[in-house]
Amino acid sequence: MKKIGILTLFGFLFISTVIFASQPPSTIWVASDNAKLKTDLKSSSATVAELPKGTALSVLAYQEKWYQVKLPNGKTGWIYRGKVSETEVQKTQGKEEGSSVGGLLGDLSGSNIRADNTDSSRSIRGLSPEATEYAKQNGTPEVYRNELNKVIDRKVSPSEIDQFLKQGKIGEYQE
Amino acid sequence: MIKKQFTHPDDRINRTRRNLLKLAGPFTLFMACPAYALDLFKIIDPDEKSKDIQRAKTIFEGVGSIATSATDLDYKSEFAIGESLALEGFQRFGLPSKNQLVQKYVNTIGNAVVQNSMRSDIPYYFVVVENNIYNAFACPGGIIFVSSALLKSMNNEAELACVLAHEVAHVGHKHALQAIKRAKFFEGVGKISTANMKGEEGKKFQNMIGDLQTVLFDHGLDQDMEFEADLSGMSFAYQTGYNPEGFIRVLDMLKQKEATAVKEGSWFSTHPPLTDRIQKCNEGMAKYPDAASLAVVSNRFVEYRKLL
Repeated sequence: MKKIGILTLFGFLFISTVIFASQPPSTIWVASDNAKLKTDLKSSSATVAELPKGTALSVLAYQEKWYQVKLPNGKTGWIYRGKVSETEVQKTQGKEEGSSVGGLLGDLSGSNIRADNTDSSRSIRGLSPEATEYAKQNGTPEVYRNELNKVIDRKVSPSEIDQFLKQGKIGEYQE
Repeated sequence: MIKKQFTHPDDRINRTRRNLLKLAGPFTLFMACPAYALDLFKIIDPDEKSKDIQRAKTIFEGVGSIATSATDLDYKSEFAIGESLALEGFQRFGLPSKNQLVQKYVNTIGNAVVQNSMRSDIPYYFVVVENNIYNAFACPGGIIFVSSALLKSMNNEAELACVLAHEVAHVGHKHALQAIKRAKFFEGVGKISTANMKGEEGKKFQNMIGDLQTVLFDHGLDQDMEFEADLSGMSFAYQTGYNPEGFIRVLDMLKQKEATAVKEGSWFSTHPPLTDRIQKCNEGMAKYPDAASLAVVSNRFVEYRKLL
C-alpha cells in the first residue's frame, strides 16, 4: 500500500514536470534579422509587422513550430520559432542606421562594431585603402586584388534570401 | 542696461566643479571600456560647447587608442586585416571558382545563416576557391573561404549551411583576433589606417598577417574555439531551418577521407581530432529533438555541385 502511494506520488511529479516543461515561456525575444509577425501560423499569411532584433514578445500560445505572440502595442500574430530566442537578446540598430546612442547600444549588445563604421564600409566599393596599401607594400599580384574586389562587390539582399528559403521550403517556409 | 561682460571668479570655480563631476562618469566608464566613455561625452555635451569637456574627450580618445586590444578594434580596421589575409588566402589556396552561379548560391546560404547568427550587423562575403584540399576558414571581418574539394564532398544544403555557419561563428566570436591579440602591431594602435601600412608599422602589420596565416592556414585555432564554433554554427543552422546534424555528417565524411587526404593546410591539420568533434557535436544534438524534421535540401544542392 505504501509502495503504491510512493509510486503515485512519483507519477504525479513526473507528469507535472512534463506538463511544466512543455509550457511555452511567457516572454521571448526576436533573435534574427528579417523577422516577420504573421496573421496566421503560415509563412504565406499576411505580415502584421516586421520586428527588429531584440524585440520582447509576450507569448500567448505555441503550435507547430510557431509562437502566437502579443506586441507591446497590443497587436497579435504568429512568429516562426527559428526567429526567436527564449533568452533575452539585446536590441541592435540594424545595418543601415547609425547614431551616437545607436553606437552605444550596438556596443552593449556585445558587438564592438559601431553602426556608423559598418555603414560607411558598405558604401565602399572594392578593396579598402588600407588593404590596397598592404597589397602595394607586399607586391601582391593584381589578379588577387581584382578577385577580392569581385568578392566584396557581391551582395545578397534580404528579399533574395527570403525567396531562396521559400524555394527550398526551409525554416518558416517548411510545409 | 549693460550686459555683464566678465565672469566672476566664483562662477569659473563652480563651472570647473560641474565639469569635474561630469567627467567622473566618463572616467569610470573609461576604466571599464573606452568606447562607451566616448559615447557618454556626446550625451553630456551634445553641442560640444564646453572647452573643458572637449579637451578631456581628446585626451580620452588618444589614451583609448592605446588601451584598445585586437578584439576591440573598430569594424573597418578588423575588415582591413581580413582583406589583407584574404589576399594571402588566394595566393595560398587558389583563385575563386569562375562559376558565378555557384558563388551566388554559396553566398545566399551563408547570408541566410548570418541572419540568425550572433553578429548579423556586419556584411559577410563567402567565396568558393578552386582547391583539392578539404578546407574552409574565416578571415576577421567576415570574408569566408570554402574549398571546392570540401563543397564537392558534401551531399546536401544542410551540410554546406552548417560548415558556413561554423565559419560565421568564428567571425562572431572574433576567434582569429583573439589568437593574435598579443602581436606587436597592436601595441599603441587602436585604428588601422594607410599610415600603419608603411615603414616600421607596416612591417609589424605584415608580421601580424603572417601570424594570422600561421594560425588559420597551418596550426589552427585553439581547440576550445573550434568546439565553440561547432556548437554555435549548429545553432545558427538550426535557427535558419536546416538540420544541424548536417555538420556531423560532414565531420563523418572527413573522418572517412582522413587516411588518404592531403593534411597540410586542411581542416585535418588546423582543427581538433575529428572523433572529439563528432562526440561533442553529437552531445550538442540533444538540444534539437526535432532536428530530423528540418530541411536538408539535396536536389538543389546536387544541381549546383555539378557546376563545379
